[in-house]
Amino acid sequence: MRRCIELLGHRYEVSLNGPSGKTMIKIEDRPPESSSLTTEEGSSFILALGEDTLPMEIARTGEEVFIHAFGRHFYLRILDPVEQAAQAAGSKGDTARAPMPGVVVETAVRPGDIVTRGTPLMTIESMKILTVIKAPREGIVIKVHVENGKPFNKNAPLVTLGEGRERPL
Amino acid sequence: MTDIRKVLIANRGEIACRIIRTLMRMGIRSVLICHPCEAEGAAAGMADEVVEIEGDPPVSAYLDVDGIIRACKDTGAEAVHPGFGFLAENASFAERLGGEGIRFIGPTPDAIRLMGNKLAARDFCRSLGIPVVPCAREEDGDFMERLKALVFPLLLKAVAGGGGKAMHEVMEETRLKETINLAKEEALRYFGEGSVYGEKLLRDPRHVEVQLLADRYGSVVHLGERDCSIQRRFQKIIEESPAPGLDPELRQELLSSAVKIAKEAGYESAGTVEFLLDGQGRFYFLEMNTRIQVEHPVTEMVTGLDLVEQQIRIAAGDPLPFTQKDIIIKGHAVEARLYAEDPESDFQPSTGRILSLRLPEGIGIRVDHALEKGMNVTHAFDPMLAKVIACGEDRHKALDLLGSALERTVILGVTTNREYLQRIIGHHAMRGGKVHTGFITSNDLKAPQLEDRQRKMLLAAAALVSRQFTDPEFAVPEPYAAIGDWIN
Repeated sequence: MRRCIELLGHRYEVSLNGPSGKTMIKIEDRPPESSSLTTEEGSSFILALGEDTLPMEIARTGEEVFIHAFGRHFYLRILDPVEQAAQAAGSKGDTARAPMPGVVVETAVRPGDIVTRGTPLMTIESMKILTVIKAPREGIVIKVHVENGKPFNKNAPLVTLGEGRERPL
Repeated sequence: MTDIRKVLIANRGEIACRIIRTLMRMGIRSVLICHPCEAEGAAAGMADEVVEIEGDPPVSAYLDVDGIIRACKDTGAEAVHPGFGFLAENASFAERLGGEGIRFIGPTPDAIRLMGNKLAARDFCRSLGIPVVPCAREEDGDFMERLKALVFPLLLKAVAGGGGKAMHEVMEETRLKETINLAKEEALRYFGEGSVYGEKLLRDPRHVEVQLLADRYGSVVHLGERDCSIQRRFQKIIEESPAPGLDPELRQELLSSAVKIAKEAGYESAGTVEFLLDGQGRFYFLEMNTRIQVEHPVTEMVTGLDLVEQQIRIAAGDPLPFTQKDIIIKGHAVEARLYAEDPESDFQPSTGRILSLRLPEGIGIRVDHALEKGMNVTHAFDPMLAKVIACGEDRHKALDLLGSALERTVILGVTTNREYLQRIIGHHAMRGGKVHTGFITSNDLKAPQLEDRQRKMLLAAAALVSRQFTDPEFAVPEPYAAIGDWIN
C-alpha cells in the first residue's frame, strides 16, 4: 500500500508492505523498517518503529489523523489519490478558496463578470472579522459557490474564475 | 439570604456550566435556554430544566429577548443570569426583564448604558479626573483631520463596541479612509450602530484591569487587579492575578480609580474597569465591562470568592457581606484560554469533532469548559473551548503548574492553540514578567522543528492507522476497533 501523507505542510510518500504484525514501512527513499501499532485502551497506542517504541494518542476521522506524541498535537492528512492526480494535472489557482471557515456576507460579482487581479469578489465573515476575497488574477467569473448568508468550511471553493473568453457554466 | 429560587441562564458553553455549578451549590434551581443543536451538550445535561429556542443562525437563539422572557414565564424563573457576550451588556434587555418583574443579575440598565457607550464612559471618567487616551470623534466634524492631528499610529474603535470587535490599527494616512469604512461596516454589523472614534495608539502598553463588587447600598470593594496583556487580535488569551511587577503606588491608584468610577456611577453587581499602562508609569481608563468576565476565575482563585454567587446575592438585594479589609489576595493565579484555532495560520478558527479528550486535574488546577468527547466544534459559536487556570503560592509556581496542566491536556480532532499557550507560558519574557499587548508579535513563539525520527514515527502511525480503513485485507477488529466509531 502506498500513501501520500501530509504533515506540517509537507507531503511524504509512505508505503507499507507485509501483513499486520510483520509490516515493513518505507518513507520516501529511506531504508524500510519494521513497524507495528498496538492499542492500549481507548485512543492510546504504542507505536513500534525499528528498535524504537513510543506511546501515542491517535484519533482518526475520514482522511484526517490526529496524533498526540512528544507532548505535542499533530494533524496529518492522508491524501486522496484522485485529488492528488487532479492537483498534479495543474489547476492554476482558478478557484478562490476560503482561507478560514465563515459566512458569506456579500457577493460582489456574478457569473459572466470580467475581473482583473485584485477585484473584490466576495466579503466573508470569520472570527467576527470581515475579509474581502479578491481575484487572484484577471479572468471571467464562472461560478459563485456559496450564497449570501451561507456558511462554508476552510478550503471550500468560493468563486471560480475562467480564462477571459470562457463562457459561464 | 437570597429569595431567588430559580434562575434562567441566557448563555451557553462553559460559562453556562460554571453558573449552574454555583446555582447547585446555593440550592437554586437552574433553567437553561439552548439552541436545539446544543440540546445534547454538557450545559444542558447539568441544568434542572432546559428550554429550547430555535434560531438561524444558532447564535440568534441566545439573543432572542422575547423567547427568553417567555421561557422565564413558562418555567417560573425569577431572575436571569446573562453570563458574558450575547445579552450581557444590553441595557434594553435588562429593562425589558425589569418591566416583566424578572430580575437581571447584573447592573442597572442606566449603568450598562453609560459604560456601553465608549465615548460617554470616557467623558464620565475624565470628569472624575481619571486619565483617558487622546481621541477624535466622528460627530465633531472633520473627522479625518482630527484623526491625523492625533499623529499616527491610531486605533479605530466602535462607539458601541467591546470585546475586540471592529477594532483596527491604522499605521499611516494612506490606509485611513479605507480602514474607517471597514470599522464602520463592522461596527454596524456587530453593535447595530456604525459610529466609530479614533484613539492614539499606545506603543506596547500593558492591559491591567480591576475587579469590583458593588451592592445597591453604595458599598464598593475591589478584588485586586488582573493583568491581561497577552492578546491576539485585541482578545485576551492569558490572564493573571496579581499583575506582575506593578509599582505599588500605581497599583493603588488603579484600584482607587476603579472604585471611584463604580461609586460615582452608582454601580451594582460585579464589574471590571480596564486600564492601559504605558511604559512611563502613566495609566489611562480604557473601558468598564458591566458583566462577569471570561477571566474572572483567576480572581476567584486568589480571593477564594465565588463571583457568580456574589452577583446573585447582590441581585437579590443583599448587602455585600464583607468590606475592603476582609479581602485578602493569596497566591498567584494564571488562566490560559484554549481556542479552536490555528496559531500557525494567523489564529484562524478551526472546526472538527472532538475525537479524544483528556483534561488536567489536580490541586491548584481548575478547568472551566463544556467539552464532551464526540462533540462537534463548528463556526456557529465562539471558538473558545476551555479555560485552564492554575493557582500557586507565587507566580513561578503558578506558571509551572499551568504549563504542566496544558501538557497533560489532550484534545484530538480539532486544531487548538494548546502548544502555543505552552510556549508562551514557558517563554523567558513571560517568566520575567515582561508582558505587554505586543507580546505575541514581538516574541519568537514558533513551534520547534520536528526531528527526523519524530517525523518518521508520526508518518508510520498515520499510515498504519489508515490502512485499516482503506485495505480490506487488514480489516482486523482489534486494535483499531477502538477508534472505528469515527469513520464518516
